Amino acid sequence: MSAADFLNLFIAAVLLAGVYAAMSVGMTIIYGVMKIVNLAHAGFLMLGAYFVFEAYDRFKIDPLLGVLLAFPVFFFIGMGVHWLLVRRIATSDQPTLTSLLLLFGVWLVLQNLGYLIWGNSDRAILTPRTLSSIEIGPISFPTIRLAVFVVAVASLVGLEFVLHKTWFGRSVRALMQNKEAGQIVGVNVNRTAQIAFGVGIAFAGAAGGLLAMLYSFNPDFGATFQLRAFVIIVLGGLESFGGVAVGSLILALAETFVILILPASYQPAIAFSLLVVALIVLPEGIAGLWAKRRRWA
Amino acid sequence: MGVKEGGNVGGSSVSRFVSVVVPLLLLAGLAAVPFVGTGPNVIRLLFMTLTLVTASVGWNLIGGFAGQISFGFAVFYGLGAYTTALSINGGIPPFSAFLLGAIVAAVASLLIGLPTFRLKGPYFAIATIGVSEAVRVVMMNVPFTGGASGYRIIDKARFVQSHHYYTALVLAVLAVVISILVRRSKLGLALIAIREDQDAASDLGVNPFVAKLIVHALAAALAAAAGGVYARYSLFIDPDGVFAFRNGIAILLMPIIGGIGTIWGPVIGAFVYGIIHEEVVANFPQAHLLIFGSLLILIILFEPGGVVGLFQKFMRTVRARSSVGSHS
Amino acid sequence: MFNSCVHRLLQRSRALLHVLAIAVIVLVLVSPAWGQDEIKIGVIMPITGREAKPGQYQREGIELAIKQINDGGGILIKSRGKKLPIKEVFYDDGSDQSRSAGMAERAMSSDGVVAVIGGYSTALGEAESVMPDRYQTPWITPGAGATSTFSRGYEYVFGTLSPIDLLGYTTAQYLGNLVDKGKLSKGLKIALALENTDHGVEYGHGIDNWNKEHPGYFNVVFSEKFELGATDFSGLLQKVKNSHADIFLADAHLQDYITMHRQYIQSGMYHQMVSYGARGPEADARKALGAATDYIFAGIWWSSKLAYPQVKKFNDDYQAFTGHPPDSWYPATAYDAMRVLAVAIEHAGSLDKTAIRDQLRKTELKNSILPGQVLRFGKNGQIQGSFVIVQNKPDDKVDIVFPLDAATGESVAPKPKAH
Repeated sequence: MSAADFLNLFIAAVLLAGVYAAMSVGMTIIYGVMKIVNLAHAGFLMLGAYFVFEAYDRFKIDPLLGVLLAFPVFFFIGMGVHWLLVRRIATSDQPTLTSLLLLFGVWLVLQNLGYLIWGNSDRAILTPRTLSSIEIGPISFPTIRLAVFVVAVASLVGLEFVLHKTWFGRSVRALMQNKEAGQIVGVNVNRTAQIAFGVGIAFAGAAGGLLAMLYSFNPDFGATFQLRAFVIIVLGGLESFGGVAVGSLILALAETFVILILPASYQPAIAFSLLVVALIVLPEGIAGLWAKRRRWA
Repeated sequence: MGVKEGGNVGGSSVSRFVSVVVPLLLLAGLAAVPFVGTGPNVIRLLFMTLTLVTASVGWNLIGGFAGQISFGFAVFYGLGAYTTALSINGGIPPFSAFLLGAIVAAVASLLIGLPTFRLKGPYFAIATIGVSEAVRVVMMNVPFTGGASGYRIIDKARFVQSHHYYTALVLAVLAVVISILVRRSKLGLALIAIREDQDAASDLGVNPFVAKLIVHALAAALAAAAGGVYARYSLFIDPDGVFAFRNGIAILLMPIIGGIGTIWGPVIGAFVYGIIHEEVVANFPQAHLLIFGSLLILIILFEPGGVVGLFQKFMRTVRARSSVGSHS
Repeated sequence: MFNSCVHRLLQRSRALLHVLAIAVIVLVLVSPAWGQDEIKIGVIMPITGREAKPGQYQREGIELAIKQINDGGGILIKSRGKKLPIKEVFYDDGSDQSRSAGMAERAMSSDGVVAVIGGYSTALGEAESVMPDRYQTPWITPGAGATSTFSRGYEYVFGTLSPIDLLGYTTAQYLGNLVDKGKLSKGLKIALALENTDHGVEYGHGIDNWNKEHPGYFNVVFSEKFELGATDFSGLLQKVKNSHADIFLADAHLQDYITMHRQYIQSGMYHQMVSYGARGPEADARKALGAATDYIFAGIWWSSKLAYPQVKKFNDDYQAFTGHPPDSWYPATAYDAMRVLAVAIEHAGSLDKTAIRDQLRKTELKNSILPGQVLRFGKNGQIQGSFVIVQNKPDDKVDIVFPLDAATGESVAPKPKAH
């Protein structure tokens, strides 16, 4: 394999990591603030995909614009789901089984909703951008993957900005670090939780839209991505966004390069083996390792 | 023990009578089903439900009693199915094949439990998903067991449905008996203590790690036996079927529906899940996800203790009414 | 006083009542219903889950046949002295094998069907195939073609899908024919990417078999299996690139066809001939890939372009019945499965399942829409029909390019470079 080929693969992996990161961030926010593992994440990925698809198919809205639109739309959907369902269950400092299962039920419902509304066709978004590549010498960047990567990174940067520079962001970080202390200091837990859930779902919907630009989808869409999101979050640490970026990169690189040695049919096993190994070696995820280092420094 | 956990003085002899007689009546009823002429479909349905009971009661040992929530029990179910299938094809008689499957799963549970039990909260749950899925993918690729094409049992014997049915019934009864014995034993008390507060329990001299490993092995063995019984009935198994993630979810869901941590909760949950799931799927092919998901949401929101929790509330109200006399 | 107690208890037992209500419904539904004046035929197809799309199309094919038969009054049953209509009992197996087996068992044992048509995809078919002999009910699969299902000595198992290794064989035969005509050079290298299923494995075998019988034509330099539903095929495609093959043959489901071919185009790959097994002309793929699907060829069990009059009639009837044209081959094998079953039932003269099975073994469907125009089950229950090779042409056109006597257009080989 030539150097150009290697570089192309590396770039493919990095671009893939961008997609994975965007997809996992939604779960991280919700878990960090509310200690809820959002099993309905896959359902919102699916809805986001259909949202962007319909925007493009019916209203000829460019998919990238559709993704940007998905943020506010799914934000409100997320807040709605929180108000309707999530706020009624008790949350604690430990993830509860009830929240897990409630959201699993929501996922089943969303899936069926998808079938009822859109039927079981495989849809895909095809734009002139989809099949083109940008060539720089022997290196080629598939345009669509590049666009998705840029949007993913931009939204992550935006999220970091919100977390560090806005009042809401500070509340979120406070709650993520220590719920009781946050309350003492005056953070409105319920309000923050609701907004955080909204933001988490907004990211899920937008990520779904990004994924729709790359892959074909149907109402079952999302399950494989959700499982990967688990892997990433564990690798990166359930409570850190930088960790999500690192975790995504590791997973994407592993999946892309290990295939060169192993038969392609083992590809899914990579993600899961990585997960298990990481959990055994690093029970707190990679970010946990970092945090430990920082504490001792 | 049983549904009336912590029974009070007033109705204890009544409740003990009920808690023995009702299960026995149920057992007698189930045993009589093949003779009552309900037809092969009902027997099939009950057969599947009884295998689910076994898996559900098994899961509850580690998930309900010990509070260690595993999402990956499909791996034990699948290991049981494949081990049994391979054994039967290798000439081993069925019951030994089931036992072999149970042993293999118990060993696997030790391998899984050893590194993962020290993980906290959601990390453990996610780890179990990872293990379950990794095993599934590996099995999809191992040519010896047929890989993705699946594996078929060559059963020369004539198919007698009631044989399979009674096997499943006996296994389910065994599972419940094990569950009762564990709950009543010192191990059971230790597990409850661990579930409430692991550190405090270990301060009191309980070794949480060993306790969890033991009960995890029991749970895995039961789930594997269920898988083995299923395999022998269906004759055809494949990794995307028996090792499927959705199986692990189903095994987890049943005790929740029925009442996690109780003896009869998993049994009730398995019946509710098995029968409803089948009927809903058969008659509302377009809407079964919706119905099942909504049911789950309703249960979680309004009665997290499951059917057993509902029943306990009911009994408490009845007892309160009767002891308060004519006031209302 | 007592009334308010009960009232409060009832309120709290809301969820319990919910469960009880469902239990009652269950008991009612579970009791077998015996329709005396109709012929119950079980149809088990996935309309949700991974195989939902093809399952839906196969269902439509069966239902069109049923409608046409019922429009004519039904099937004449000699023992009843009159025509009886067909009643379809439909089950969605959700692309889940254990459910598929369970539904088959239920249909055959309790729901009083005289036969079952079911099993889209080999996996679902294998699971269902355990039941026909167990309950002595004829079963025809229009969607499972792996020979393993038919090589177990079962007596009630039939299939209207020709073996998949024959598909692979015909693909290689077509390419060999192109070499003979001088469109391709001799000794070209083939890279195979096969989905990790029975389908993929048999496809590969078929190609290998042809190559063994015709040495010197092609050389398989790369062959690997991939997992269904992968998100990223860059690594696999890289390996294909590294093999420097001239011809790329993959065997994939629709979803993977789309994902893989997108990445194929994006990485600027080119091969003289490209195929995705039995996938190529699907409308969903055209929508997802546009002009990138041009000149891809596929080996399929049927094409709406076949020049038989009964095929033209089928196309029109199907369009009128469903509102869309037939997609690839899916509805055709199902349509003919129902038709041959109806003929067998009529020949049996009664609703006795074993008599129907005996007739299935002998019946020939004379105006079959499948290639060859005659449908007849082989000794092992599977038909040994022929395949057509179709090639996508620009502007959403499709041509049959092989066998030559059925061809509607010329093969374009090698593919033009721009694609």
